[in-house]
Amino acid sequence: MSMTSVLNKVWKSLSRQKAVLAILALVTLMLFFDTNFFTPYNWLDMLRSTSIIEIIGFGVTVVVICGACDLSVGGTMSIGGILAIMLVNANYPFWLAFLAGILSGALVGLVNGFLVVHQKTEPFIITLGMGMLLKGVAQQLTNASPLSSRNMEFMKISNQQFFGIPSLVVYMAVLLVAFFCLLRFTGYGRNCYAIGGNYEVAKNSGINVIRTKWIAFVISGSTAALAGVLLASRMNTGSSIYGDTTGMLVNCGIVIGGTSFAGGIGGIYESFIGLFVIQLISNSMGMLGIGGYSQQLIRGIIIVLIIGMDCYARKRKREAV
Amino acid sequence: MRNENKLLRFINQNLVLLGIIVLVTVTAVIQPKFLMTRNLTNILRQMTSLAFVALGMTFVIIGGFIDLSVVGMVSLVSVITASLINPIGQVGALLCGLLAGALLGYLNGTILTKFGATIQAEVLFITYGMSSVFIAVGLLVTNAETLRIARSTRPYDMFTAIGSGSFLGIPISILIFAVILAIMYFFQTRTLAGRSISLMGGNKTAAYLCGFNINRTMQMVYTINGLMSAFGSIVLMSRVTTATATLGTGYEANAILCVVVGGTTLAGGKGNVLRTLLGVFLITLLSNCMNLLGLSTYMQTVMNGAVLVTAIWLDNRKRL
Repeated sequence: MSMTSVLNKVWKSLSRQKAVLAILALVTLMLFFDTNFFTPYNWLDMLRSTSIIEIIGFGVTVVVICGACDLSVGGTMSIGGILAIMLVNANYPFWLAFLAGILSGALVGLVNGFLVVHQKTEPFIITLGMGMLLKGVAQQLTNASPLSSRNMEFMKISNQQFFGIPSLVVYMAVLLVAFFCLLRFTGYGRNCYAIGGNYEVAKNSGINVIRTKWIAFVISGSTAALAGVLLASRMNTGSSIYGDTTGMLVNCGIVIGGTSFAGGIGGIYESFIGLFVIQLISNSMGMLGIGGYSQQLIRGIIIVLIIGMDCYARKRKREAV
Repeated sequence: MRNENKLLRFINQNLVLLGIIVLVTVTAVIQPKFLMTRNLTNILRQMTSLAFVALGMTFVIIGGFIDLSVVGMVSLVSVITASLINPIGQVGALLCGLLAGALLGYLNGTILTKFGATIQAEVLFITYGMSSVFIAVGLLVTNAETLRIARSTRPYDMFTAIGSGSFLGIPISILIFAVILAIMYFFQTRTLAGRSISLMGGNKTAAYLCGFNINRTMQMVYTINGLMSAFGSIVLMSRVTTATATLGTGYEANAILCVVVGGTTLAGGKGNVLRTLLGVFLITLLSNCMNLLGLSTYMQTVMNGAVLVTAIWLDNRKRL
């Protein structure tokens, strides 16, 4: 194998991994500035800050691989957190509150799945409406003001450390491995890829498409609510504003990672990288002292560019055929 | 038996109209204040800005796409218009605002066609990113401060007229809307360019093979949407007499809601600007009635979400 073909291969795999490329570019850029960017503390902090949207992203990835999408996760997340805090404040044990929070998310996923999979509606718009509905419910429950808990044990869930590593990072790592195994090594995961790749073919080869896709929505709702409970425990408050932009951000991050909305392509590892890029961007911009509004501007441009590049690649492929 | 079927079909096809009638009757019985002229004019005034945005969104959805950037466009246009009153006067500011809206829409369309976004999901996320860009620009320009029209040193009576003036007892904003609606209805049903939008939404490949320039149609659709958002923005800004970089919050979901409730299918190709008007009417009435009945604003968000989900579901069942 000649040198150029090796380079070609490296370039090809890198261009498929736009997110890795973005990380490399950002890290190189940060070398030129004298900041605290390259300290272990900063990287651990970035991992901790990103863990909430990563956990949501793992669940949503399963849905996206099935060829759908879930924008209601923001609402699901705030409802999960608020419910857990309310139950804890009503003197229920903290584990029960924890479970009830997750269960609420599973319920939302069940309804989403019914509408999208069983009734074959457009997932983007249905889940957008669902998110709106859930935001209203969250506001109604809390009267639109933050709700704090008085239970120390509930607070400890996300605020402790295991061997010097923040617990949120540990939870995220465990879920990362679990979802990786689910998609890579189980029959369910393979069915998800098959459904996303070609719905009709999957159906005709005997996969229970409706059940598989429905379960994907339940998984996504549950992880979103789990993230909500963890966030509520971390902040010790449940609030209706937590999930405002989460749904969009998570889905964007997943696409940035390389999981395609067309379905059947991608994986948990890709989503992890894609969502980490978002955190990396805001962290490095913060380090450089860029103001909040400029950050929003740059983030918007980056989202447009990366998703646009994704579209462009597919357009080129279509035209080549 | 046959008559019953006919009745059922009529009800099924005019669910929105039925909803409006039921809503009006129930509210009027419980809260007679509802029927006062002041309240009714108020509803009309509140309706106009959303109606403009929904009108633009109708074209986008008929074309088979979607646009989340109307939040950004409404906000940015209001900021541009309000900040231009002092330097170039009110007429110039108004025209610049409308031009800016059309340009922002054109920018959206160009970016989408250049990247070759064809499915709704791609369009959704790119326009979301654009919205974030527009809002950020507005925030940077205003430094997140509220611009008050009343603080401008040059005359601003035109905006006051749009916001609260009336002609022969009818709010001026409604009159403007009626004119624009008539033009848009003519455009949609009677011109080649308008018909090509439906064709593109119905079947892109077929439209392409018929010789229509898909990219041009797409740019046109988004430019129309930008212009309509600018109209909506100016009407809204005149009514509340302030402009902020987040003025349009919630308009994207509400506009989509109105269009879908009106009966334009998200799959594209089918739809009518007049039906959207019914949707706008229902949604505005819903919030007014809930206010009068003493329900919290949070419940209105719940209700809007529920209506959106149910409307899409029912629309989908009809097609199955």
